[in-house]
Amino acid sequence: MRRTLIAAGAVALVAGVSACSGGSPSSGTAGSKTLTLAPIVPPQPWDLKDAGLGNNAQYYQPVYDSLLRLDTKAEPVANVATSWKYAAGNTELTLKIRSGLKFTDGSALDAAAVKANLEHTRTGTNEAAGQLKAVESVTASGSDSVTLKLSAPDPSLLPNLGSVAGMLASPKAIDSGALKDAPVGSGPYKLDKAATTNGSVYTFVRNKDYWNSKAFPFDKVVLKPLNDPTAVLNALRSGQINGALLTTPKNIPVARGGGLDVTTYASGDIAGVYIWDRGGKLTPALGKVKVRQAINYALDRSSLVKSVYQGAGKATTQFFNSSGAAYDASLDAKYPHDPAKAKALLKEAGYPEGFTVKVLDLSGPFPEAQAAMVEQLAEVGIKVKLVTVPSDQTIKQLLAGKFSMSYFPLASFRPWDTTQIEVAKDATWNIFKYEDPKVTKLMDTAQHATGAKQERAFKELNTYLVDQAWNAPWAAVQAAYATTKTVEVVPQPFTPVPPLYNFSPAA
Amino acid sequence: MISFLTRRLLSGVVLVAVISALTFVLMSMTGTDTARNLAGATATAQQVAQKKTELGLDRPVAAQYTDWLGSALRGDLGRSWAGGDSVAASLSDKLPVTLSIVIGGLLLSAILSVLLGVGAAVRGGLLDRAVQLLAVIGFAVPSFLMALVLALFVGVRWRMLPATGYTAFSESPSLWLQSIILPSVSLAVGAIAATAQQIRSAMADVLRLDYVRTLRSRGLSSRSLLLRHALRNAAPSALTVLTLQFIGLVGGAVVVEKVFGLAGIGSLANTAASNGDTPLLMGVVVVMVALVVVVNLLLDVAQGWLNPKVRVA
Repeated sequence: MRRTLIAAGAVALVAGVSACSGGSPSSGTAGSKTLTLAPIVPPQPWDLKDAGLGNNAQYYQPVYDSLLRLDTKAEPVANVATSWKYAAGNTELTLKIRSGLKFTDGSALDAAAVKANLEHTRTGTNEAAGQLKAVESVTASGSDSVTLKLSAPDPSLLPNLGSVAGMLASPKAIDSGALKDAPVGSGPYKLDKAATTNGSVYTFVRNKDYWNSKAFPFDKVVLKPLNDPTAVLNALRSGQINGALLTTPKNIPVARGGGLDVTTYASGDIAGVYIWDRGGKLTPALGKVKVRQAINYALDRSSLVKSVYQGAGKATTQFFNSSGAAYDASLDAKYPHDPAKAKALLKEAGYPEGFTVKVLDLSGPFPEAQAAMVEQLAEVGIKVKLVTVPSDQTIKQLLAGKFSMSYFPLASFRPWDTTQIEVAKDATWNIFKYEDPKVTKLMDTAQHATGAKQERAFKELNTYLVDQAWNAPWAAVQAAYATTKTVEVVPQPFTPVPPLYNFSPAA
Repeated sequence: MISFLTRRLLSGVVLVAVISALTFVLMSMTGTDTARNLAGATATAQQVAQKKTELGLDRPVAAQYTDWLGSALRGDLGRSWAGGDSVAASLSDKLPVTLSIVIGGLLLSAILSVLLGVGAAVRGGLLDRAVQLLAVIGFAVPSFLMALVLALFVGVRWRMLPATGYTAFSESPSLWLQSIILPSVSLAVGAIAATAQQIRSAMADVLRLDYVRTLRSRGLSSRSLLLRHALRNAAPSALTVLTLQFIGLVGGAVVVEKVFGLAGIGSLANTAASNGDTPLLMGVVVVMVALVVVVNLLLDVAQGWLNPKVRVA
């Protein structure tokens, strides 16, 4: 009898605890006007001078308003700045600041605050600071006008002011160091410290003084960082979160099968064979255009997209983002899979037997992609000798110029940003600092032009780079964002995750 | 006993100091480009150099360590290089998560392994064979696999308990309990297997001793014999195993925390190590070593309480 009672008690305890959970343990429904998202990266410091971009922006968007806003095509529209005007050959940008705005600590968001922010952010070392590197000085005139003097025209500056680089924190909090512990902004929400546990849950509640609350339909935003793909999927399927990026293509059909909506879009990542040593310093063969073109012809892009990314990508020969002005769809047909032509080009270049190239072994993070690269290059006679280094040293080794080429995915943003990251002589990912006078001239034209003329210059630059086979990209990788049925989301070009203002409750 | 504990405590302090110094040296030798990791893949060489100076990475390792040690001795563990949070605050946020699932797993394994181990030793026969079989299965099933299965079925399919996340006890005791059940069970399976086997053989040995036969012949009830005499004598070896299990479970928590999306010490250590976040990793190491020292100290006290001979020694 006693044993029966104990057993019954145990069953009742488990049932009771389970019943308390109610099947959906956390909030996160549109009905309660709470939006719960799971960023795949942990947060960075609240001080914007240490802020990164992309996935990191999710933590800043609720609390910090930005000078401009980006629409669904990622074009800049008015926000804190109501209008703007370029002068002096695009080296002076004057912004008119909306009046009557305040930070949540009560201090005024005026021209002086904007100046303080831009001057502060650009002293940093992270990606947001990097987007302001063309800004030489900032001048505030009166309370509502700010002028940025640039060292040279920056075609990406306006959209960047609609991102983290243009976000604004209270100057009082910047000066006092209060941002070390919590953000103080003027955005649609403020951090609820009582309902926040650093590293696991960040709760944001409405900033009642925000000037544009209608653009943010949720009363509360909760961010729960999760970096494990299985944990993300489980949290979505059990209704604990409303949205998250799916980082593994194989989870897309599982998510759809589990009743979730999955929105796919170009992530901006361009994957393929990056030929770092295009000057032929380390591997002389790669200095020859025909060899680089042979590498392009050796790749079967369609099969790579299917096998490596389970179809979550688009075959491409270009390393410019398909949403940008530089992209030309017709160029994707430039290098069809043609091993015979690849071999012929190698022969013409003086390598009838192919050649051997040392490649950094990235089979840890990219096993399928690297194996496919090795196999397809071997078919035309290019032998890849893999060199292994500890996984935490891969970027360091690549950037030290110790390897001539490798499989790699690199994020491609707006055309100008891409040139500054991968093409310009001093660009971080122009590892061997290769310079081609024609490329420099085309970049210069694009930098100083505007409108259609600028778009033409970027297209011409892209065409030239594809023709010269600077790299051998094979796929524009797709991102997949999963949401529960209670939430709708609109993706935005040039960013791996949709911004907060693109989320809304389902109709 | 007091001088024994004092000696153990002092050796624990030395252990913390030695391991912290070793960790610092090892971190400086990994070759991780911390400044590059923090500045981002698109940062220029100039920005990376600036970051290096900001973090003090351009100074000799000995100078960096003595600075860290000086601050740590004053109670300041610094701030995370990656997230900017205070290391002490991060640890106090994350330690309860890990301790909750580890202690939960340990309690579960202590209770079940005593029941199974004693049952197998006393009853023998079919129960004994079943316990031995379960122990083999428990050893064979890794905790991450158990975690995946529990999260998928109990969390996602049946929605009986949360599939991810942690609720603090102070926020809601019932939600806290719900949030730790699945991770604790995942951790406990292997520990139950090991401890039940240990208790089974210890009990079987004790039950064969002369004094047990004498007590039984004097008409002592089976329950009294088992609980007051036999189990007490079999307990020290079980306690030692459970202590070792505790340390093992803390290690196993790294994977289980990942599957259940728990922001505990395991995931903190993982992130800190991969980012080259020295202040954060040092904080984690110091706390974990201190925890192991404290647990071992508690074991000594418990052993002394259970067995007076230990106190004399």
